[in-house]
Amino acid sequence: MPTTVCTAKASYKKTPGQLELTETHLQWFADGKKAPSVRVLYAEAASLFCSKEGAAQIRLKLGLVGDDTGHNFTFTSPQSVAYKERETFKKELTNIISRNRSVPNVTTPRPPLNTSISSTTPAISNAPTPRSVVPPSRASTSRAPSVSSDGRTPIVPGSDPTSDFRLRKQVLVSNPELGALHRDLVMSGQITEAEFWEGREHLLLAQTATESQKRGRPGQLVDPRPETVEGGEVKIVITPQLVHDIFEEYPVVAKAYNDNVPNKLSEAEFWKRYFQSKLFNAHRASIRSSAAQHVVKDDKIFDKYLEKDDDELEPRRQRDEGINLFVNLGATREDHGETGNEQDITMQAGRQRGALPLIRKFNEHSERLLNSALGDEPTAKRRRIDAGKEDAYSQIDLDDLHDPEASAGIILEMQDRQRYFEGQMASAASAEAAAGKNLDIRAILGETKVNLHDWETNLAQLKINKKSGDAALLSMTENVSARLEIKMKKNDIPPELFSQMTTCQTAANEFLRQFWLSMYPPAADHQVLAPATPAQKAAKAAKMIGYLGKTHEKVDALIRTAQVEAVDAAKVEIVRAVCFVYIITVNFNANLQAMKPILDAVDRALAFYRSRKPPK
Amino acid sequence: MKFFIDNLPIIFPYDRIYPEQYAYMCDLKRTLDATGHCVLEMPSGTGKTVSLLSLIVSYQQFHPTHRKLIYCSRTVPEIEKALTELKRLMEYRISCADTVEEKEKESNFMGLGLTSRKNLCIHPEVSKEKKGKVVDARCRDLTNAAVCEKGRQDPGSVDLCDWHENLGKLDPGSLIPAGIWTLADVLQYGRDNGTCPYFTVRRMMPFVDIIIYSFHYLLDPKVAEQVSKEMSKDAIVVFDEAHNIDNVCIESLSIDLTRPMLDSAARSVGKLGEKIEEIKQTDAAKLQDEYAKLVAGLQDATDDSVDEDAFMTNPLLPDDLLKEAIPGNIRKAEHFVAFLKRFVEYLKTRMRVLHVVAETPLSFLQHLKDITYIERRPLRFCAERLQSMVRTLELQRLDEYASLQKVASFATLVATYEKGFLLILEPFETDNATIPNPIFHFTCLDPSLAIKPVFERFSSVVITSGTISPLDMYPKMLQFTPVVQETYPMTLTRNAFLPLVITRGSDQVAISSRFEVRNDPAVVRNFGSILIEYSKIVPDGIVAFFPSYLYMESIVAAWNDMGILNEVWKNKLIFVETPDANETSIALENYRRACDNGRGAVLLSVARGKVSEGIDFDHNYGRAVLMFGVPYQYTESRILKARLEYLRDAYRIRESEFLGFDAMRNAAQCVGRVLRGKTDWGLMVFADKRFARADKRAKLPRWINQYITETASNLSTDMALTLSKLFMRTISQNPNENQTGISLWTLEDIEKAQAKQKELAIEAEQSREDEEEYGDGGIDDDMLVDFDLDV
Repeated sequence: MPTTVCTAKASYKKTPGQLELTETHLQWFADGKKAPSVRVLYAEAASLFCSKEGAAQIRLKLGLVGDDTGHNFTFTSPQSVAYKERETFKKELTNIISRNRSVPNVTTPRPPLNTSISSTTPAISNAPTPRSVVPPSRASTSRAPSVSSDGRTPIVPGSDPTSDFRLRKQVLVSNPELGALHRDLVMSGQITEAEFWEGREHLLLAQTATESQKRGRPGQLVDPRPETVEGGEVKIVITPQLVHDIFEEYPVVAKAYNDNVPNKLSEAEFWKRYFQSKLFNAHRASIRSSAAQHVVKDDKIFDKYLEKDDDELEPRRQRDEGINLFVNLGATREDHGETGNEQDITMQAGRQRGALPLIRKFNEHSERLLNSALGDEPTAKRRRIDAGKEDAYSQIDLDDLHDPEASAGIILEMQDRQRYFEGQMASAASAEAAAGKNLDIRAILGETKVNLHDWETNLAQLKINKKSGDAALLSMTENVSARLEIKMKKNDIPPELFSQMTTCQTAANEFLRQFWLSMYPPAADHQVLAPATPAQKAAKAAKMIGYLGKTHEKVDALIRTAQVEAVDAAKVEIVRAVCFVYIITVNFNANLQAMKPILDAVDRALAFYRSRKPPK
Repeated sequence: MKFFIDNLPIIFPYDRIYPEQYAYMCDLKRTLDATGHCVLEMPSGTGKTVSLLSLIVSYQQFHPTHRKLIYCSRTVPEIEKALTELKRLMEYRISCADTVEEKEKESNFMGLGLTSRKNLCIHPEVSKEKKGKVVDARCRDLTNAAVCEKGRQDPGSVDLCDWHENLGKLDPGSLIPAGIWTLADVLQYGRDNGTCPYFTVRRMMPFVDIIIYSFHYLLDPKVAEQVSKEMSKDAIVVFDEAHNIDNVCIESLSIDLTRPMLDSAARSVGKLGEKIEEIKQTDAAKLQDEYAKLVAGLQDATDDSVDEDAFMTNPLLPDDLLKEAIPGNIRKAEHFVAFLKRFVEYLKTRMRVLHVVAETPLSFLQHLKDITYIERRPLRFCAERLQSMVRTLELQRLDEYASLQKVASFATLVATYEKGFLLILEPFETDNATIPNPIFHFTCLDPSLAIKPVFERFSSVVITSGTISPLDMYPKMLQFTPVVQETYPMTLTRNAFLPLVITRGSDQVAISSRFEVRNDPAVVRNFGSILIEYSKIVPDGIVAFFPSYLYMESIVAAWNDMGILNEVWKNKLIFVETPDANETSIALENYRRACDNGRGAVLLSVARGKVSEGIDFDHNYGRAVLMFGVPYQYTESRILKARLEYLRDAYRIRESEFLGFDAMRNAAQCVGRVLRGKTDWGLMVFADKRFARADKRAKLPRWINQYITETASNLSTDMALTLSKLFMRTISQNPNENQTGISLWTLEDIEKAQAKQKELAIEAEQSREDEEEYGDGGIDDDMLVDFDLDV
């Protein structure tokens, strides 16, 4: 049993209970129960929110990694006690959260796992069907190096039904078309869930990849902007998050906090004075801070921590790192003695003194963000690591000047190669010989000559029948106009009918996909959840063929509706009936045309199935 | 691949070649054959350096005369890149060599790069010094001839540099094995073998086939005399990235004097006086000896010619001057010290004036003579005399004498040139400043003065860059006649870059960095919104350039207060160029990490600043360049005004023409940094109303200008964004069409082109013959065929 750090009475989801912080977990027991109903690993805690001081209820909200809704606890002890309890929890949790953030490489093994152990969720052990687990290597190789840097193993779809369900749901929600198809086919029971997802594993994998991708820290500078409330007072809302960010951005504030807070200043006092101090104004590092100078008070405690503005031409903190010669600007400056006249005033860097601390702050902030994502090994070491993959040559290489075909292809290996070629040669030789025998050039020449004899007179005698020419032209014109009409009317399919047609088509497509999937052996590198047995396959194929067989009927039904609708429309507008009768036929044609490819495909599938059936 | 141009076998270290590279090599070869000078502009990122090196190395290896190559570049990163390029080329050549002898010949080929002591020092204490000058001085204290002699006779009596000593034990000429050594390689070799990298390079220079260093080593007379004297006349000189060569020329002959400098010079003169008194007591013979030498003439004084520890040299040494003896009145050491003292005092008095003075060297000399009776002739020998004295006195820590050295150089220069220079005294830093901070500018106005010795001495000088339009400007400014002058368009199967001119914001307010409107909130906001929008849609890296440091610093502050940068932070990290070079290098390195990582970043920097020269932003390091405003020079600068006036009077180059040319070459330079190779792509955004003007655009290099469409030359921000998105969508597709044959040539394509050219040549020959045959002055058939009839 791990030791308890602190406990408090707190309600969760309106049930009274006990909140406990142990060395590894934050857990909550409902009153009278032994097992915790909520159990959160330290590593899963991502953010912390508190109710305001003096609010009616004292609450604490804990956000989890990958789940912002988190858990809400209300402290139920009397106001003053509850407040103190909350503060202890807050302090501990803030530390934990900041630790979680500062060590990005040691994150949770499987964070999106559902953390509340309620009885409704099925336990992991009794998953319905044992499925082969595909090693995650495939998923991770295709991802960018930045993604895999978090070191977590991505969840493999299929290995865990709960997360699988959630993934599927997310995919369906984010892709409405797929969602509609799912509704039509799976929920109506035409095909099973598993069948639907078979062959769509990549979607799930992509979803997992996106989820497991660690979100970088947002880039914005920590710059608490005071809001002015009535009466000229200035208000800054301090959240634990903000405090953490300030400490990270300005270690000097953290130092001041550690030095002063419990003893000399209360926490509230500390922040109040900080935001009024010169230190804060220096940290804001903005030109406008000079305008606010009169608001700033002298402060004995904070002024101690004030450093001189970093606005000299050379930075206060000199860094002596070896710099790659390809980007070394200092080397150029030292390459030869100073010469020439000095630059004119616009080209002298650093004349705008006020901007320099700001500029330095930008560079440092960017570097810090980068290091938080990449780890901050010293430059020299980093270069040694990188040297392997990108040497100096790659920086000057013109890659398109290399011959792309120069790479050695895969040599075709053949059995009995010699015999194959010899055989070819022999047959070719015999064919040639045969051809040579039959070909008598002289005879052909003579024949041609005879044929061409008297061609001039023949040509002169050639007469073209006027009537047939006219007819041809007429038919062509008609053809063109007919096509034009169809083109113009094509989009007149009633919307309802159109959507029915689409549904019909996508459904048929899905059936076809399933059918062919069951017919052909799975591609070698294709990831399949559970390779189906031949028997299953056959059953499935049969089922699909059943559906496909009905496709013709469905299409016929559609066409009928189309006609009826058109007639209905015609009834409404009798005046233009003639016109609409025309549309009926056009619509009819259009329908047929639109559905033709799918019908062809279905027919082919049916034929294939039939022809294949006997040998089985 | 291996192919022939005429009968010269070329080995090119790739399987394919761009047509423009081929054309470039042909023109280069023509120049070398004709032993003349040339100006070549080749689009950025189409492998200029590799074609240049590949042709010249082939040329060197083929011809038995073995002309040396002096390859000059602007910055250390570019020098290092050129060395790496050369190293790879030689590896390829060795792997291509057929016979053992050929292989041997290729492996004996030697190439080195030279930079300062500061960059090449590995002495544990000396190399820690921050300032290059101090490193130079301390190095000299440990390595000069006198100290070495003393140290070797009596080990332990003086500090010596072990690395330098180890070098002395080796055979001269084989301090380092043959081959190509980049700066990093030389440093590593020095560390491994305990030898000094700097002196290795310096002493190996007579033996190398290719030496790569910066412009200053050839153009700055103070340095060139020490470093490049030995180079033979038939050497091939290449100025790569030469778009700013005129500025380097001018810089190398200009000097600034300030009051603290004069004070320090006066102190140094005092110290010299004390030292002379001291020596008089202990070793009077030394001074006598020097005096005798000076009587004999300068020639003898400096005949120990390879003199690496020279403190400074005469900034210009016409041959006749060398043969003259030093004037009598400054031959005696104490006389010379008195002379210097008077001169420094005179300069100090001049500094007290509280109004701006501009005068020619002649009027300065006249005034000087009237007041102090200092003549022109001794003034000319000032630098030389100081050098001789420093050597005689065996001074230590010469960095403390730097100001005096500057004053002496100033004296020599002002007494030597009558034309092309101006002296400007500015008592106040800015117009509204009240506390005087006087600066005495001695400014060179004529870039041809510094480069003249180079053109005179070397038979082939190649001036090349990605952006030196308009081409005829350079021969005019530098006063030479090129035999070949060429610019190459960029052949592309699909447009790999999209230049856009944004003239107004989405709110239709015109944007411009013109001085009157640049701080207008509407303009600042519109510039800001361009940055925000592009940071949203462009992947990886974005580089933004501002026309000046002053403007960048004020706009960054303004953007921060307007909350614009907060929007940018949401999408990308922000890095900014700072006044400190090392700090900026670190920021740059982090910027690259952010681009590699996928987080993406924005780099804010200054056109003509530190970053704009020598750093490439190819591939993911720069998917878009934003040029905020036209990078004009500060026209209120008195130096610039003087220079413009001089250009107008001497070369008939109009002020506005030069200013426009200068701004556009810098803009093009910034923008051209995004491309390397033809599969690379990038956006080039010119955000200023003035870029829409045809006369401005005409000054851009042809390869950029040809891709600015009429619609893209006058856009508002939202229209530009739509075009950019469209462009990025298309360019991100896999190029299906094969580039081979159009923008990429194989060996067969080259042969085809050569055959075609030959045919054309023969045809031209024939038609000439035909003409001779008829000789009636009528219209010949070819002309009839070519004639465009209006039917």
